[in-house]
Amino acid sequence: MLPKDVSDSIVDSLERDLIGGRARWIADLNEFFRDYNRTNTNFNLYARGRTRNRGLFLSRFFAWTALPDYSVSLFLISDNSLMSAERMRRNLESVSIAIRDDELQWAWLIVLCTRELPAHVVSFVSRYDRREIGLAVASTASGQLVYSQNQLGRSIVKHLGLRKLLEKMNAGNTN
Amino acid sequence: MLETLTRTQNSLLASYSSPFVLLSALVINIWLVSAGVSGGILRLVFLGAAVPIGFFFGRLIYLKRSHVEIAFDEKEFRVKKGNRETLGGNWKNYKIVSIRLDQFGRPDLRLYKSADGDFVDIPISRTNADPQKFREHVQGLLSGRVATPSLQLVEAS
Repeated sequence: MLPKDVSDSIVDSLERDLIGGRARWIADLNEFFRDYNRTNTNFNLYARGRTRNRGLFLSRFFAWTALPDYSVSLFLISDNSLMSAERMRRNLESVSIAIRDDELQWAWLIVLCTRELPAHVVSFVSRYDRREIGLAVASTASGQLVYSQNQLGRSIVKHLGLRKLLEKMNAGNTN
Repeated sequence: MLETLTRTQNSLLASYSSPFVLLSALVINIWLVSAGVSGGILRLVFLGAAVPIGFFFGRLIYLKRSHVEIAFDEKEFRVKKGNRETLGGNWKNYKIVSIRLDQFGRPDLRLYKSADGDFVDIPISRTNADPQKFREHVQGLLSGRVATPSLQLVEAS
């Protein structure tokens, strides 16, 4: 059951990084749930927050004057079964419902898969272009990471550091 | 038997103690001047005593007003701040647990009675508990699962 342990460790590490303010350049995520059930989907990690971050004095003043104050969320699903485009569509549908219900401006959806990523899933994710969802799928077995080519998708790699986390986990350097 | 999570908040203790350190240094200095001790090692030794004296009084006030203790077992929890019990309840009254960052980015635990319903905040950032492990433990209690051994909840400090 090594792959399951690896994905648990990735979720733990990602959450720890987010609690430490990893995503602050994009969003101020300030509440973190694990194994959260919503819209018939179990999210292993669900984080919510706003685009206007906290801070003291100058940074707070800057945030208040310059940054928009939108609600945003991060959803993470860890999946042991073989990933399919249909399953991805269902996950995206759940996130879309959450976006609508919570009046979110945008959301990240990260899917961790313990198996190799099928070619049609890779194609589906890399062609995904809806602006309000940043989508990424990663295989903990191979370390492969695919993300949507919209701004939010690219920020999963750039600002959440998911690729580095995968590399670290696969190299067995995690603590 | 209730288990307790706690930690001395050094910055708070220092802020309570510093006025007493200054005050006791002033009193000792006046006493030294009136006793005719105006210089040398003896004066420094006596003035140095202001630190433990100040911290003694600061700690008394800190323990009375601001020291946070979280006591819990499988059924209930209690939060004590100083001499007052500020929060308490049964785990079974709550359905959802999350880690919530306060305005300074410190991770506390938030318990919801229902999704987006009434909630209470447990200030675990004022203790030596690991927020993720403690949340996992509480999540196990809320869902009726066997919880992780509580000895592992505490961070190495």
